[in-house]
Amino acid sequence: MKQIALYGKGGIGKSTTAANLSAALAGENLDILQIGCDPKHDSTRMLMHGTWIPTVLDLIRERGDENITVDDVVHRGFGGVRCVEAGGPEPGIGCAGRGIIATFQLLERLDALKGDVIVYDVLGDVVCGGFAMPMREGYAQEVYLVTSGELMSIYAANNIAKAIARLSRRVRSRCTLGGVICNAKNIEGEQELVEEFARRINSRLIAYIPRSRVVQVAELQKQTVVEYAPESDQAAVYQELARTIQRNETTSIPTPLEMDELESFALEFVQV
Amino acid sequence: MNSNLSPSNSSRFEGCTLTGALSVLTEVRDAIAVIHGPAGCTHHNFSLLHATHLANDRLEAPRLLSTRLTENGIIFGGEDALEETLARAVSLSPAAVFVLSTCIVETIGDDVAAICAKHQEVPVIPVPTAGFLGGVFETGVRNALSSVASLAGPADEETLSANLVGEKNLEYGVEENAAEIVRLLSRIGIGVNLRFVRGIETRDIGRLGSAAVNILREPALRPVAEDLQRRFGTPYVDSFPAGLAGTCRFLEEVGRICGIDADAAVEEERAYQAEMLGAFDDIAGSRVSFQSPHPMLRGDPGAEAICTECAGALDLAVEEDGAAIPLPYPAPVGTAGLRRMLNRWRVLIREKQRG
Repeated sequence: MKQIALYGKGGIGKSTTAANLSAALAGENLDILQIGCDPKHDSTRMLMHGTWIPTVLDLIRERGDENITVDDVVHRGFGGVRCVEAGGPEPGIGCAGRGIIATFQLLERLDALKGDVIVYDVLGDVVCGGFAMPMREGYAQEVYLVTSGELMSIYAANNIAKAIARLSRRVRSRCTLGGVICNAKNIEGEQELVEEFARRINSRLIAYIPRSRVVQVAELQKQTVVEYAPESDQAAVYQELARTIQRNETTSIPTPLEMDELESFALEFVQV
Repeated sequence: MNSNLSPSNSSRFEGCTLTGALSVLTEVRDAIAVIHGPAGCTHHNFSLLHATHLANDRLEAPRLLSTRLTENGIIFGGEDALEETLARAVSLSPAAVFVLSTCIVETIGDDVAAICAKHQEVPVIPVPTAGFLGGVFETGVRNALSSVASLAGPADEETLSANLVGEKNLEYGVEENAAEIVRLLSRIGIGVNLRFVRGIETRDIGRLGSAAVNILREPALRPVAEDLQRRFGTPYVDSFPAGLAGTCRFLEEVGRICGIDADAAVEEERAYQAEMLGAFDDIAGSRVSFQSPHPMLRGDPGAEAICTECAGALDLAVEEDGAAIPLPYPAPVGTAGLRRMLNRWRVLIREKQRG
């Protein structure tokens, strides 16, 4: 079983990438489990054709954690992908990070963490220990950073690389960086910039996903690109990403950049 | 942010902020304290307070209610649980409700003050008591005293009397120490207006501003006294008296603040101290050695000076191989406190002499 996690800045396209990745992996006849780890709980929505599935934490809140079965939390979507949303407290109250920990404990108890590949789609920033949970205790062994060529996005990716580097020092840790995915914003020289960033943090660019209108169109149809336009170039990009990740055996311990390195890196690449 | 990075030196093991606050608030006998947090925070404090109260012949249990937060309360926020528990507390018809926060609810950011503000039937007063923010036992005591003081309205006419502020309700000799202050104050014709806070009811707090002087249990309470001075104009003495000369100075200081000539009272007290010391003639000339009570415990800063003073007055020789005498913590209060201390010294000296 392969367990991977997608991390990156909020709004960078993690969930779109994760859903299309899961859909493409399912197309390879693999049993896929995708777990959305974000209180906004919109990770699996395209796989579920727009349906908001009940989140683990909603169920815990309503029934208590004793009366929940696997079928309550795991919902089959496109291509048989099994979808889970962790959910969270109401915005502005409580502790979402502890919610992620409780979700993992429940999934563990229900023996729901199985399949050929588990894809964890995690909230943009690793704001506290709870959101690092998918990287801990042997859950995701490979983390993929999703970033565009925008500096704020690279800055966020660098921060997550710090978390991976920190966690990888722990004795029982199996968490490594699998690679960097460039989800393009159509910035000039974007691919080269992200490629160089990946190299400098001791990793590599494993996919360049061009910006494409078909993504938005598919989203309006509440579908992944892989389902809505399976013959499109964009679908082919996701299918290639799926094969790359499935075959990937090259992972690394990242060497995140210091702030001044990051700033001088930006100056090298940004045309002013 | 946590602005208190250096540990306080006013208490030996620093302690739990919540416990410090409860040691004060459970002395407002017609109030209820609601502790917003896991049940264990309440249980631990209930046990400690109940045992201490029983040792002081107070039989009724401390009136504590817990919101009993569990993991789900932390994830989804504990404000609903607090509202429910507050409603229950109010239904028990207390004269006031104090609402104490714990480390975990301050971590997740429950808005305790906003929920307290919803209640109008009785005073519902939030008391910040999350210890991880850098507070210690003493911080809890101070926060609780300030919260209780918020229940006092404008002062009535001032009377020639004193408030005892911040008695250490968990200390073994709390009643003896208060009695000693009452005895000393009576020498200059001053009575006690309010024990702030020990064994009182909510309505008694209204008298807080009427005293001529506030007498603090210890100097760590100065911020509370400064606050009371701003609000009511009441000057303060920053500590209960300690030592032979210190006890006489205390009389002079209270007298000066209250405009009373204390000379005669000081003379009487000196004579009383001489008589007290006379009862220990049998150990005069013995050899003693003062010891820190425990390597991990910080002693009272004034304790050694007081012991040296008493040794001088009794003509004891302080030598390394003398009878081992632990430095007291806290320092004994007034002349009566010294008598109790010297009684313990006598036992230790005789034990040493017997070998």
